[in-house]
Amino acid sequence: MSQSLRPYLTAVRHSLEAALTLSNFSSQEVERHNRPEIEVPIQSAELLLQPMHISRNEHEQVLIEPSVNSVRVNIMVKQADEIEQILVHKFTRFLEQRAEAFYILRRVPIKGYSISFLITNKHTESMKNGKLIDFIIEFMEEVDKEISEMKLFLNARARFVAEEYLSEFVY
Amino acid sequence: MLHLPTNNTLLEATLIELNEAWLNNAPLVVDRIVSDFDHTTLHLLTPDNENRQWVYLSIVLMTWSSLCKCSNEEFLLRYIQSKFDKYNNDSDNSNIIEILPKNQTVQGYNLTLRLDISKLNNQSITDLSLLKTHIMSYPFQLSFQKFNQLSAMEVAPSNDAVSTYRMQYREDENIYIQPSNDRITVIFETIFNDETDKIFSKVFLQEFVDSRKRNRSIQSAPQVLFSNTPPREIINITTNQNKDVDSKFITFVLFPRHFSNDEIQFKTICKLLQFRHYFHYHIKCSKAFMHSRMRFRVNNFIKVLNRAKFDSNDDEENGTSSGQLDDKRRTITGRKLVY
Repeated sequence: MSQSLRPYLTAVRHSLEAALTLSNFSSQEVERHNRPEIEVPIQSAELLLQPMHISRNEHEQVLIEPSVNSVRVNIMVKQADEIEQILVHKFTRFLEQRAEAFYILRRVPIKGYSISFLITNKHTESMKNGKLIDFIIEFMEEVDKEISEMKLFLNARARFVAEEYLSEFVY
Repeated sequence: MLHLPTNNTLLEATLIELNEAWLNNAPLVVDRIVSDFDHTTLHLLTPDNENRQWVYLSIVLMTWSSLCKCSNEEFLLRYIQSKFDKYNNDSDNSNIIEILPKNQTVQGYNLTLRLDISKLNNQSITDLSLLKTHIMSYPFQLSFQKFNQLSAMEVAPSNDAVSTYRMQYREDENIYIQPSNDRITVIFETIFNDETDKIFSKVFLQEFVDSRKRNRSIQSAPQVLFSNTPPREIINITTNQNKDVDSKFITFVLFPRHFSNDEIQFKTICKLLQFRHYFHYHIKCSKAFMHSRMRFRVNNFIKVLNRAKFDSNDDEENGTSSGQLDDKRRTITGRKLVY
């Protein structure tokens, strides 16, 4: 892990630990409704907490938006060039299509971010907080690794294919 | 399967099947449509149920009309026939492989060959399965002739005198072949519809351009150039004035060593005609590989996430976990409490 990545992930970990103190909270607007307060269209200020914005550089940022019964974690994955953009897009879309297997994954990221997670009090009740945070941190590590590996693979394959084709012309 | 086969395997298999059936005295009646790349369709048909010795092999190509424009249709037909002349022995009058005259061509097809199933051998079957390549090699052959003419001239001809052959092998996609006195330039014009393909193609094309410089063992391969705008050679004859279509132009520069004798010529033609298929095929392959890779990665992520769940064992240990407490708290009528 590079030098600057560790403090970045540590900051995210601590912020998540602080944010994941959720309690059950029924809607104040609609009777018998219980919904993630961070997602409702008309938000009331007393239910939202201060959002936390952690930024490694302009390409890699995390926005944690806590509320009384839910936390939304938005991750911006590094996209250095066109290929990485396409790869990140494909990869996050692939994950989002399988969102039901991921429980905490939001089907659509919020604007400006690559992928969003929504953790509600239901999740923290059925899952261990520490392990949930581990998952998000591991996800952030792995995604970067995966994207750069895919990019390397694509280049390697392209090179191999091109050389194979041209070597057919060597008489 | 790194390289795609040049010939049409289904066509080959069908012809072998027919030939064997004939030799076993149980001739088959055939009516089979065989597809190939670049909007090409082949059709095998037994025209006469009583006389199963004869089979019509028809072909329709998208590029036919542009091939005819390279010189004229009569020469083209003669050229195709010349490819199969070696199988027609002079001793008896009926040819084994013969192009039917225009008025007898099966409707909807550009060309019909009449085959004598009883007299086909392995060699001729292989050659017939290369029919599409043989037809599309015509402008290449013209270029080789033109090259020989031009290189024999003492003074290099001016650029205007140089003719360019165009093959429109797909809608909006062309191959341009331009012979000159010291080389033959082959330019592929291709488009990508898919956004991802477009970006992947950039990576692949860059490697095609660079690999020759990097790898010494393939130094003698044709030089490859790539641009987004029509190269100078064909700027006057590109038909795509349509700005919406962003075509890519891939140029292969063939030097005399790439067409020094007939065998090498044919190999070069086969490889070049396959370029588009090969290229697109490998882009699709990389996409498929990435997909399976992502599938694997997603399973890993799910495993990590499932580790976070409370096991059933955990719940038994601390029976007062919130989930169980909720279940126990019921109203007097037995309904679950909702907060």
